[in-house]
Amino acid sequence: MSIGDIEMTKEKILVLGAGTGGLVAGNLLAHHGYKVTIVEKKTEHLFQPGMLWIAFQGHKPEKYIRPVKELVKPTVNLVQGTVKTIDLDERKVELADGRSLDYDYLVVALGSTLAYEELEGHKELVEKYGDFYSGAQNAAKFWSHFSQLKEGTLVIAAADPLYKCVPAPHKAVFLSTYTLKKKGLLGKVKVKLAVPFIYEYPNETISEILRPVFEERQIEVYTMFTVDRISLEEKKIYSLEGEELEFDLAAVIPFHKGPDVEFKQEGITDADRFIKVNKYKLNIEGYDDAFAIGDCNNAPTSKTGVTAHLGAEVVVDQIMGYEAKFTGRTNCPVVTNGEALFVISDYDNPPVHVKLSKMKRLMEDFFIASYWSSLREPEKWRTLFGAYFKATEPAVLKERGW
Amino acid sequence: MAEKIVVDAKGMACPGPITQLIRAYRKAKNGDIIEIYATDSGFKPDVEAWVKKTGNELLELTEENGVIKAVIKVTAK
Repeated sequence: MSIGDIEMTKEKILVLGAGTGGLVAGNLLAHHGYKVTIVEKKTEHLFQPGMLWIAFQGHKPEKYIRPVKELVKPTVNLVQGTVKTIDLDERKVELADGRSLDYDYLVVALGSTLAYEELEGHKELVEKYGDFYSGAQNAAKFWSHFSQLKEGTLVIAAADPLYKCVPAPHKAVFLSTYTLKKKGLLGKVKVKLAVPFIYEYPNETISEILRPVFEERQIEVYTMFTVDRISLEEKKIYSLEGEELEFDLAAVIPFHKGPDVEFKQEGITDADRFIKVNKYKLNIEGYDDAFAIGDCNNAPTSKTGVTAHLGAEVVVDQIMGYEAKFTGRTNCPVVTNGEALFVISDYDNPPVHVKLSKMKRLMEDFFIASYWSSLREPEKWRTLFGAYFKATEPAVLKERGW
Repeated sequence: MAEKIVVDAKGMACPGPITQLIRAYRKAKNGDIIEIYATDSGFKPDVEAWVKKTGNELLELTEENGVIKAVIKVTAK
């Protein structure tokens, strides 16, 4: 038997979604000789943290967008289509246009759905100002308003404590105040951050580290402020906890739900449509040939690109027959502008003490610069990223900090 | 009619339990009782701060065998 024959016997992989998790899983498996099909409804892939730079510092959207077909290996079969139903027993996925695909292994990487309709006045707010969650165009729209703001109040808030990228609202106020400072408008434009959490950040350690930056930038932080409704007419945001904030410009992080697909089997998803998985193996509960990675699953860790990337590696290893375990590791960058820190935690360890530094900002720039290549050629980055994650394990850092 | 809402946030790390409390509170109405169980040690001061801020009534806050139980009467909506 030739090598070619062995490769022909490898299982058929179906990956749903060409976000971070889907591309890393699909391209890694293709690299190892599997027959991979990736289904994606969009033709373009957006580097999602880029929305912050577009909305608050006026970066060009093109910088953070690539055609999906340029991000898949030549051996991957890229199917453009919308996933409609998933039958885990029959191993069959149906697309909205009626096409049907079958698999030996399924990797669901469909991300989360933004549910603006859940909050009164939210749709109207986003239609008017854009935001930094619903795509590059809406981020550019937000910038067109923010860059015109000469006085008044900018409010950044959230509809629910569960959303992707925990430090996103913090980065939003840091990047916006940097822009205002540069224009000499800091103070004339008041920046207010309202979070549902008890402290400024969900974790007290990180909150303490960020506190001096809030002060220095004159950012007013409102804790335990979960948006209940928005009135565009009154230009006010009301909280569930009984407070209100006036705004001239505002962005509210929307409710997140699981992917908008139908499973033929019952009990696969939770009340918010997130797919129930074993938090270590990331297989869909009750199935050993189907996995869900990244934002679409219910693993009790942050919804970030890093968890999607690391989850993809864990799933690929298992499909290849190796033992692998997802630790829930996060590496969420908080960027103040000139400095950064990473929120590093896992299932067993809360965020460790990580100081803000210029060096970490440089590292974040390096991660951003490597992004497209790390999707297309995840095999080349695995050793380097692996060394970084090993050196910065929460269990290693928790005593001495970083 | 007043309802009792039971939330099991055991095994969830911060901010899981408080997230579950906020979500239960969004759906609750005045007179409802929210009974929440958590194992995260940070939940105790968190729930105290939350009750103080929102002005709801804390009926019970106990810890037994590592499980924190908080009973809140919704009065501030």
